[in-house]
Amino acid sequence: MMNKKLLSLFIAPVVFFVFAPLAQAYIGLCCAHCGGNMPMNLVGAGIPETHEYRFKISQMFMNMGPLRDGTSEINNTDILGAPNGTTFAVAPERMRTYMTMGSAAYSFTDNFAAMMMVSYIRNEMDMEFNQPLQASTGTKGFTMFSDGISDLTLLGKYRLYSDDHLAPTNQVSVLFGVSLPTGSIDKTFSRNPVPGQNGTILPFRMQTGSGTVDPIIGLTYQGSSDPWWYGANFKLEAHLYDNDQGYHRGQEARYDFYLMRQVHPRAVLITELNYWYEGKYSDEPFDQRVNGEGHAGFNPNAGFLSPLFDPQNYGGHQFAVSFGFQFQPVPLHIMELIATLPIYQDLNGPQLQQDFMIQFTYYLEIPTKKSRRYVGFKPPQELGF
Amino acid sequence: MTKKRRFHLKIFIVLFLFCWMVPAAVAHMQAFENMGIAKPRTEREAPDFSLKDINGNTVNLKDFQGKPVLLNFWATWCEPCKEELPSMQRLYETLSSQGIEVVAISIDRKNLDRVKKYVDEYKLTFPILLDPDQKVRKHYYIMGLPTTYLIGPGGKLKGFASGARVWDSPDSIEMMTSLKETS
Repeated sequence: MMNKKLLSLFIAPVVFFVFAPLAQAYIGLCCAHCGGNMPMNLVGAGIPETHEYRFKISQMFMNMGPLRDGTSEINNTDILGAPNGTTFAVAPERMRTYMTMGSAAYSFTDNFAAMMMVSYIRNEMDMEFNQPLQASTGTKGFTMFSDGISDLTLLGKYRLYSDDHLAPTNQVSVLFGVSLPTGSIDKTFSRNPVPGQNGTILPFRMQTGSGTVDPIIGLTYQGSSDPWWYGANFKLEAHLYDNDQGYHRGQEARYDFYLMRQVHPRAVLITELNYWYEGKYSDEPFDQRVNGEGHAGFNPNAGFLSPLFDPQNYGGHQFAVSFGFQFQPVPLHIMELIATLPIYQDLNGPQLQQDFMIQFTYYLEIPTKKSRRYVGFKPPQELGF
Repeated sequence: MTKKRRFHLKIFIVLFLFCWMVPAAVAHMQAFENMGIAKPRTEREAPDFSLKDINGNTVNLKDFQGKPVLLNFWATWCEPCKEELPSMQRLYETLSSQGIEVVAISIDRKNLDRVKKYVDEYKLTFPILLDPDQKVRKHYYIMGLPTTYLIGPGGKLKGFASGARVWDSPDSIEMMTSLKETS
C-alpha cells in the first residue's frame, strides 16, 4: 500500500516534468511576479505571474534533539525511571523528519492567486528505555517510525496594496485558507520491541495530520529596493474543535522576516529571522484517555510511558535564523537551498528541541496561453493600439 | 506627344509604381508581422520626454525629429533585456548611418553605476537614458520588460513589441528601413 503511494509520489513529478515543456511558451519578458522573488520555504510568500502555474517540489530534512524543558537542555537520564509522571519508561533521544512537499499555485488575476500544498512525511524517532525495559527487551531502545500523507493546505492570497505594477517597492497581501485533514491521527506502533505495544497509538508528533479542518489567516508584506528584497509574513493556523480522537492541536502562529540580496542576475542570497509559537495539545487521544494506551499497564490513570504521550509537553516559542540562496539556471526554473538553525527555544515540558533543518526546493513556472509571457503585454489602447 | 500617347504613358507609370510599391509594402508588412510588432489602430504622437543620459546630458524625444526611432525600455534586473541589447547595438551600427536611431531607457530606480557597467560590458554606443522616477515608463504604459516602441520620423507611434526580439535580423532591418518612408 505504502509502496504504491511512494511510487505515485515519485512518478507524478517525472510525468509532469516530461510533459511540462509542451505547455510552456516563453517570449522573454520580465514581469512583477516572474522568477523567485521571495523565499520559497515560506508558505504563501510568493505568487505566480498572472495566468501562470507554479509547481514546487521540496525535500526537507529536520533533525531534532536533544531534550529541552523550558530554555534548558536536559539529559535522557534525568527523566528515565519508573513511569510516575515525573520520570518515564521511555524517553526520546533524536528525531529525523523527511518531508517531500508538493505544491501548485495559479494566479487568476494580478491580485489573486490560489495555492494547494501537500506533503509525504516520514518520521523516525530514536527512543531510549529505562533500565528495567532494557533488561527485559535486551536492547537499549528502538526507533519509532511513521509515514504518510500530511494535511492538505488550500490557500488564497489577495493583494490589498501595491505601489507599482511592474516593479513594486511595497506590497501588502492577505492570506486566507484552510488545512484539510488528509493526514492521519491513528498511526500506531509497528517496531516496538516491548510486547503488547505494537498496534497501540503513536504519540502526537508521530501523527501526520491534525484530524480537523483548520482555518488559516495571514498577512504578508513585500518590499524592494534594488538589489534588496525584504518582507514580513504572519500566519495563524487555528485549531478550533476536537478531532475524532477527541483532541485538537494548540494554536499555531508564525512570523517570518526576510532579506534577500541579488548578487547576480541569476542568483539571490537569503537571510531570514523566523519565529514560531505553538500551544499545547488540548487533551489526550481517545485511545490513550479511555483505552489506556501510552500509559503504564494500559491504565489511563497511571503515569505516561513517555513524555511524548503527555499533551502538555508540546509547543512553546522558538526563534531561528535561516540562510540560503536561490539560483535560476534558465528562465522559468528556480532552485533554492536553505538551512535553518534555532537561536532561542522555550519549550513546554520535556520535548525534543530543534537542531537544524535543511530544505531544497525546485520551482517551475508554466505560462498558460493567457499569460503575458506567452503572448506578451497588450499594447496600450491609450496610445492608439 | 498625342493625347493618346500621354494617356498610355500615365497608365504605364501608374502600373509601374503599383507593381513596384505593392510588393515593397507587402514586404514591409511581412517584416512587421515576422517581428511580432503590433501596429496602431490610429497613429498617435509618441509621448514627449526629457531625460538625462548616462553622461548627465538632457535628451528630448524631439531631438530625434525626422528620424525613425526604436525606443526600448529595459532594466539591469531584467534578464531578457540583457539578451536583446547586443542585437540592438548591432542594429544601431548597421542603420545609424542611414539616419535611424536606437534609444534605450533604463527604468532602474537606483544603482545607476550598474547601468553604466552594462553599457561598458555590452559596448553600447546608442543613447541610454535614465528614468529612475518611472515617469516616462508610466506615460508609455510599460507593464513588462523589455518593451519597445517604433516611432516614425514625424514622431508618431508606428509599432509596439512586448518581450525580447532579435533586432538585427533581416526582418528588423527591413522594418526599420521602411519607417523612413512614413510620416
